[in-house]
Amino acid sequence: MESTSIFEVSGLSKSFAGLKAVDNVSMKIKTGEILGLIGPNGSGKTTFINLVTGMLEKDAGRITIDQHNIGEMQAYQIPVHGLVRTYQTIRLFKHLSSLENVMIGALGVGMKRKQAAAVAEDLLEELGLSERRDAPAQGLTFRDQRLLEIARALAAKPRFLLLDEPAAGLNEEETDELFALLSVMPEQKNIGILIVDHDMRLIMNLCNRLHVLNYGQTIAEGKPEDVRRNPEVVVAYLGSEAS
Amino acid sequence: MKRNNTADENTLAAASLGSRPYFNFSSKWSTVVLLVAILSGIGVFIWWLNIPFIEDIFTSSVITLISVLGFQLYMGNSGILNWSYVGYVGIGAFASAIFSMEPSLKAMQIPIMYPFLQKLHLPFIPAVLAGALVAMIIAAVVAWPLMRLSDAVGSITQFALLIVINVLLSQWAEVTNGPRTFTLGGSRQTTIWVALGFAILVITFVYYFKESSLGMKLRTSRDDRYAARSSGINFVKVRYQGYVTSAFIGGLAGGLYSHYILSITAGSFYMSELFKLLSMVVIGGSMSVSGAFFGALIVTLAQQGLRQLELGLTRSGFEAYGMSEIVVAILMILFLILRPNGVTGGRELSLEALRNLFRPKQYTNNNGNKK
Ligand SMILES: Nc1ncnc2c1ncn2[C@@H]1O[C@H](COP(=O)(O)OP(=O)(O)OP(=O)(O)O)[C@@H](O)[C@H]1O
Ligand SMILES: [Mg+2]
Repeated sequence: MESTSIFEVSGLSKSFAGLKAVDNVSMKIKTGEILGLIGPNGSGKTTFINLVTGMLEKDAGRITIDQHNIGEMQAYQIPVHGLVRTYQTIRLFKHLSSLENVMIGALGVGMKRKQAAAVAEDLLEELGLSERRDAPAQGLTFRDQRLLEIARALAAKPRFLLLDEPAAGLNEEETDELFALLSVMPEQKNIGILIVDHDMRLIMNLCNRLHVLNYGQTIAEGKPEDVRRNPEVVVAYLGSEAS
Repeated sequence: MKRNNTADENTLAAASLGSRPYFNFSSKWSTVVLLVAILSGIGVFIWWLNIPFIEDIFTSSVITLISVLGFQLYMGNSGILNWSYVGYVGIGAFASAIFSMEPSLKAMQIPIMYPFLQKLHLPFIPAVLAGALVAMIIAAVVAWPLMRLSDAVGSITQFALLIVINVLLSQWAEVTNGPRTFTLGGSRQTTIWVALGFAILVITFVYYFKESSLGMKLRTSRDDRYAARSSGINFVKVRYQGYVTSAFIGGLAGGLYSHYILSITAGSFYMSELFKLLSMVVIGGSMSVSGAFFGALIVTLAQQGLRQLELGLTRSGFEAYGMSEIVVAILMILFLILRPNGVTGGRELSLEALRNLFRPKQYTNNNGNKK
């Protein structure tokens, strides 16, 4: 029953008033693997996620999941094709309860209410949020809010999950918890994960492959240990730290 | 593409549902039971008092409650103020009256009315429902292009729409008798019990709507439109559905109103009415059904009390006319500044909430810090 899906992006580009935020980027992710998308601040990582999820209109490029062309779809039509995301700055439905927040992920891909409730209950339990199920999301701790956003994304039963800096704002212990959660997810749920983060310890330990952006362009791709030694990557990071 | 994991998990999910019901009565449906009980309690008490003047005030207040519930249905869940709402109340009021009046009576009272309208004739309740349906259909036709507009532009167009509806209601003589009063004739059909019965249905419906998948989706578009879109929600569509549903309830309230007051003009469905509804949801708390309920209760009581005071003062030589409107307006401003989510704070009245009220220390720590 394990089938492999492929999420493929080719030649993706986007400029903001002349600034090339994403410049001819191509990438491929299979279910079962974790790809790290890294790069200095402003290198286009969030813009990449916004483009592939239809939140921003692209200038050029092709985006597919198993031959389905999702690149021309409205943002709300994409989750049902198996692609969901989380946000760098948490975006929850703050007046909705935790349970309702997660249910929305399931309702958004057309599940019926009862089923959505059951899926949501299971996910809250899995992520250790059951205790807060009826509390409005705005009352949750930062860590719980991060997890809740992931739960909402997972409720859509995606094939691909795009995480935009899920560890931002978490302390070391919480980041380790996140690592434990994410590291088993691709196999357990048969999904592919794209993770953006600045926490190199997390990225290096978690990812099967890395994709490095700088000024919107791909400057390196490959195994974490190779990418780490890539001179261009070293310069990009040192450069951004020096400035 | 293949999605291999749904079938098994569906059955699993269904199986596990029994042990963990989503609906916890005390936290969910107790709201409806409590609100209905409070309203019915007041109703029975007033009926028992048997003072016609008070019974009249109560009946008209219950109709206003229905109207404010329909207003809250859209505003509370979508977070958008619908300026044109009272226009749909007006449409329901006139349309239901046209449906229910005897053709011969219509021919006499409004001779210029279109013959096909004069011929219509339905009993009271079907006429009220048909009037609500007319309001809903008009909303369905005009709203689709408007739902895509941005918030600021959207409000302005809704405001313009209210003006259009008002002008049509007050000038289209072949339908509404134009600027002259539209008199229904006959006896009052919206009795205290009819109003109460509809109010109970509407309270239940509006609460059900909020808790339904559609209501939940609409609430996401209020809280975060980006997250709603990326969670698969077409917020233009859910807004549209909410708007049209709300127009139906508005039309229903209008129909009940015209069959209570028995003579209507377009002016009854304009700014001052909109202001009244708005003050109710602001003071009660726009995000909950209980908020609309208690807002209606508070504003009605305040207005009645102030009106008596007004009369008394005016009689004793002190010109105080219009004071009640000013006081309610000031109250609304104070709420917006000091307690923008109203007396209910956006929460629903429920058994649990009542329990917590009496055990504040343990339970009100809702600010998220674990333990
Ligand atoms: N909506 C927008 N309008 C104009 N410019 C934008 C917009 N969104 C992003 N940019 C610009 O595009 C570039 C890439 O931004 P992006 O947010 O994708 O970077 P990032 O890699 O996610 O950075 P960070 O690590 O800080 O989150 C930046 O220069 C940014 O200022
Ligand atoms: Mg970013």
